[in-house]
This record gives sequence, C-alpha cells and structure tokens, in this order.
Amino acid sequence: MSDLVDSTNQLEVGRGDVVSATHGPTSKKDGHLRRKAWIRRLPLLPALIYMVIVTQAPFVVTLWYSFRGWNTETPGSNKFVGFASYSAVLSDPAFRSAAVVTIEMTASAAIISMLLGSAMAILINRTFMGRGVVRTMLITPFLVMPVATALLFGTTIYDPYFGLLNWILSPFGVNHVNWVGLYSMPSVVAVLVWEWAPFMMLIVLAGLQSESLESLEAARVDGANAFKTFVWITLPHLRQYIELGLLLGSIYIVQAFGEIFILTDGGGGNGSATTNLPFYIYNKVFNAFDFSQAAAAGVIVVIATEIVATVTLRLLSGLFRATEVMS
Amino acid sequence: MATITLEHVTKVYPNGFEAVHDLNLNVADGEFMVLVGPSGCGKTTALRMVAGLEDITAGSVSIGERVVNDVSPKDRDIAMVFQNYALYPHMTVAENIGFALKLRKVPKEQIKQKVIEAAELLGLTQWVDRKPGQLSGGQRQRVAMGRAIVREPSVFLMDEPLSNLDAKLRVQMRAEISRIQRRLGVATLYVTHDQVEAMTMGDRVAVLSAGRLQQCDTPQNLYDHPTNLFVAGFMGSPAMNLFEAVVAEGATQLFIGSQAITLPSELHAVRPTLKSYAGKSIVVGIRPENLPLTDNARDSESTASPFEGHVELVEALGSELLVHFTTDAHAFEITEVMDSNAAGLADGTLTKGDAGVARVEAHTKIAAGERIRFWLNPERLHYFDRATSELIV
Repeated sequence: MSDLVDSTNQLEVGRGDVVSATHGPTSKKDGHLRRKAWIRRLPLLPALIYMVIVTQAPFVVTLWYSFRGWNTETPGSNKFVGFASYSAVLSDPAFRSAAVVTIEMTASAAIISMLLGSAMAILINRTFMGRGVVRTMLITPFLVMPVATALLFGTTIYDPYFGLLNWILSPFGVNHVNWVGLYSMPSVVAVLVWEWAPFMMLIVLAGLQSESLESLEAARVDGANAFKTFVWITLPHLRQYIELGLLLGSIYIVQAFGEIFILTDGGGGNGSATTNLPFYIYNKVFNAFDFSQAAAAGVIVVIATEIVATVTLRLLSGLFRATEVMS
Repeated sequence: MATITLEHVTKVYPNGFEAVHDLNLNVADGEFMVLVGPSGCGKTTALRMVAGLEDITAGSVSIGERVVNDVSPKDRDIAMVFQNYALYPHMTVAENIGFALKLRKVPKEQIKQKVIEAAELLGLTQWVDRKPGQLSGGQRQRVAMGRAIVREPSVFLMDEPLSNLDAKLRVQMRAEISRIQRRLGVATLYVTHDQVEAMTMGDRVAVLSAGRLQQCDTPQNLYDHPTNLFVAGFMGSPAMNLFEAVVAEGATQLFIGSQAITLPSELHAVRPTLKSYAGKSIVVGIRPENLPLTDNARDSESTASPFEGHVELVEALGSELLVHFTTDAHAFEITEVMDSNAAGLADGTLTKGDAGVARVEAHTKIAAGERIRFWLNPERLHYFDRATSELIV
C-alpha cells in the first residue's frame, strides 16, 4: 500500500524519470515505467467509469434505439428499421419548427442578457455605498432553480388577473392581458433573460475589473472622451469576455426545458411557438410514446450542436490566443 | 511649445493625506525638468495634477498662458509616458502610436506617414505590426515614447519611464530620451526616484521631499550648493558625509569629533552667520571627493587641516577607490522623510552612524585596518544648522 502511495506521488515519479534519463533507457526500466504510469492513472479510473456509465452508455443506447422503430403504442414495432426514424424526424415540420424556435429563443435570450448584464456590470463597476449588497442581489436570480423561477413568473408576474405586470401597466390602460398565452415566446425569453443576465454581468464585470487603469488614463491623455474610451479601449478588451459569456450562456439556454414546461407547456402562437428541441424530444417520448424517433431527434441535435460548437470555438479561438499573449 | 507653471499647488487626498504642499515650479519652453525624490514624496502626484488625472486641491497649474485646473486631460495638449507604458494591448504598435491622431481625425495617409517617421526615429520599423504582448520591455518603452512624440504636444510628461528596464537598457534609453527631447524642444516634466537619472537628464532638477520642494536648480548647482541637509544627502553617489560638529568659541576652530579643523577668516567672509554658531553643534557635510590624501593639498591650499580616520573597507572601482573609514565623530544618514509638517528635517530623519566614505585615486596604497589622514579644506565643506537643517550662509 505504501508503495502505491509513493508511486502515485507525482514528484517521486518525476524524479524517477530524470534518473532513468541520465542512466539511459533499458527495456526493463521501460516496463517498470509503464507500470508506474498506469499506477499513476489508476485513481482516475472510477471517475472515467462513472463518466462512461452516465454519459456515453446512454448515448450508445440512444443510438441503438434510433435505428429501431419502437413506438410503445404499436405492438411489434421494436425492430431494426435502419434510418427510417431519422427520415421521419427530418421530414417532420414540427422538428424543423422546434429547431427554429431553439435558435430564436437561444439567440434572443443570450443577446438580451448580455446587453442587460453588460449594462449592470458597468453600473456596478464603481465604488458606492452598499455595493456588496447590490452585487449579491443582482446575482441572486442566477441561483434560483429554473422551475422555481418559472413558477414565480407564471403565478405572480404574468397572471392575467393577479399578476404584477398587469397591475403595474394598469394605469396605462392595460387590462387582464394573458401574457403567456398571447406573447408566449417573449414571456419565456424574459424569464431566461432574468436568469442569465446576472451570469453575463459577472463575466463582463470580471473583464472590466481586469482592465488596466493606466491604459484608460493613457486614452484620456491621448484625447479620448468617455464614450470613445469605451468604444476603442474598453470594448475591445471586453470582447473576449463577451464572447465567452455568449458561448457559455448559449450552451445552457439551448437546453432550456423547465421554464417552457412550467410556463407554456411548449404552446403559444400556432400551438408550438415555444417548443424547442429539448421540449420536442420530450413530447416525442411522453406524448407520442415514439422512443425511436425521440432517440433519432436526440442524435441529430447532438450532431448539430457539436458542429455549431466546433465552428463557434474555432471562431473564438482568438480568445485563447489573446489571453496567451497577455499573460 | 509651451511652458508649465505650478503656483502654490497643494494636493490633499480625501483621507487627509497631504501629498503636495504649496509647490511652485516653472518649466521653461523646451526645458527638461526632472522631479526627483524618494518614493511617496509627492512627485508623481504633482505630475498627475499637471496631466489632469488628479484634482488640484489648491493653487493653479498653467500650460502656456492658460490655467488648466478645470481642463480635462484630453484638452490639455499633453503627452504622457507611463511607468508601465500603458500600451493598448489589442492594438498593433502602429495603431498604438497613431491612436491619438486617429482620435483627432487626422487623415489616414498622414497618420501612416507620422507613425513611420516615429518608428524610424525609435528603431521600431520592423515591429510596427506586432502587438505589445509580443515585444520586449525596451521595445514597449519605445512604443510608449512613440505614442507621445507623434502627437507633437506642447508638453511632455514622463512618470518614471525607465524604472521597469534593466540597468544597461536604462542607461541607453536615458541618453535616447534626452536626445529626442532636445531634438523636439518640447517642455518636459520628468519624474524619477533615481538621482543619477535626475543629474544626467535634467536641465534643471527639482528635489521633493514629503510633498515640499526642497530645491530647484541645475544639476551642478544642486550638487555643489545644496541648500539643506536633505538635498545634500540625497544628491550624489556615494552620498555626502554628514558629521556632527561643534563650532569652537570664537569660531576659529571646528571640532569634528575630537579633531580640530581651523576655520580661516576667508571662510567667515563668505559665511558670515557661521560666527553666530560659536559654541553650538552643527552638521558639517563633506563630499567623498573632497577628502584628499596628499600633503600637496596642504601646499596649494594653505587653509587645509588634517583629518584622520580608521580604514574599515576599501572598494576598488577600477577608476577610483572608495575608502570607508570611521572616526570618533557622529555621522548622519538621510533616511525617509515622513513628517510632512516639518519645515526642514526633524532629528528622526537622520540616522546616526560613525562611518564616512572618501573617493581616492585608484592606485593609492591603502588597506583595511590602517590609519588614514585626509586634508580638509574648510571652504569645500558644507555647514548646516541642526535645528532647521538649512545651509549656514
């Protein structure tokens, strides 16, 4: 046991490497080193197994079902059908509509939260009384569970009869508007923005606070007013933080489900104005009981997300280059 | 082209700390003025008030004929070089240098032309497309200079621009900045804590301590005729030896420790107030080079008196020897000046020791442990009042 502890100690292993390098490699040494390397990796194995069980295995199972025609309402349908489920999903207008809804919802929520979050970050990036309290309060929405948030909005804010929104707008002649029914997409986006603006604020605030004061002073001396300083100096500096915030935010907002489930149940407009891809897949399983089409849709979404994420990351790789240069 | 005038400028921070007290300073057109002092003496605050980056509590700052107290930095027509260069990290060298011109809506072709000229002047031509992150410290420093000179401002402000460079590069850039400044002929206010930089670069040097101007004069005059103990101890390397001394009754002799130095009547003609210190303790300052060893000094300067010490250490610098010696007199050293309310130097700002340093010819035969005899010329000594720390005239 003590041998194992010793061997997993990186420092010990490192020292061993140096010794072997000076003495010249021998096959016996190599074998010894390989065993040592494996012993060093061994503690990672439980995590790896866990990851495979909870992420990769379900994916393989999903892949398996996507090539079958399993609908629990159709007896005998659980058999191999090739790409039939894929073609069914791809030719389903509801799937395409869900894709469009996902893009609209994600883009608008991410962009609006970024604008709002940046504005909050700029406001809070100065010293004033009670700054800590204000900052904590601004972050709080991000810490509330999505379902709780959606319930809160649905019952206390959007409610046609008792909602705060109608009450606040009543002096302007707004009466008992069914916000969620009539403006379902904006209602959901507003909830998402409420949740995600604090996150964007945190990231942009980190960016603002990492900016060198001397650069700002240099810009003032160089002849820039406050607006030009922001556009020419601060904004380029914030660019990488904004990109990062949008990327991370989008990754999460694409998966939005709880807000939709609670508020609109995917409805609104023509009946599916807020059905995004996760909600579409949910419907396929729990309303249509078509496990195979749900699986096929899931696989398509994974592939599409992978492509979008790869392209975006490549576009944003400037972000990583820039940080390298600065450090 | 303009002058910089500071009249009774005072800066008090919100926490009550007085960084600059009643500062009067006038930088002539084309003059290179160095503000020097230990850290925390208020020199950077003074510079930032001229730049407009710091509010002025009292007094007025003028650039040219115009009082600029309430003028924003961008309208002061100044260019500033910052200690950490403050380059814009996302812009190339060319964009950094041309940024101020771009803000002034100078035509693109003209900007390009000026950037090329500045880059040539500073030897940056091959790096104009690089970002600051890809440059060495010296190159960044040049870009910061380029950004300042391309503006053709009426005033240059420099805040310890060489402090982040290594020793060799610092000497090189020192000469380069002086050369560029003379060529452009723009009034320059240069802040440094390094008295060698101050001596070598400044047309005039203003010595600051605890937010107060101690003396402002040409480097040679500061060195030869310091008006108080602080300037005497701060300027020069190795520093001036400061010994406690007692003026004998009748003021014909001065006792440094137990050794008597004859004060000739010629000296009293030059320094009439010295007589009034008869029987009192004063501080006497001796530059290391004013401690000659040979009797020749006695022959040519008949007023010289012998002054003996015990050699502790000999440092050979090649061109000369630094002889560290001890005597039975108390020696003082200038340390940090903390009390901003003191008119001069309080006793606490002087630390007591017993060592002195002499600068002697390189091939002199001296070894540690020997007795050494110098010949002191009283006319080359500096006499200071202990209480006020002012020069006795």
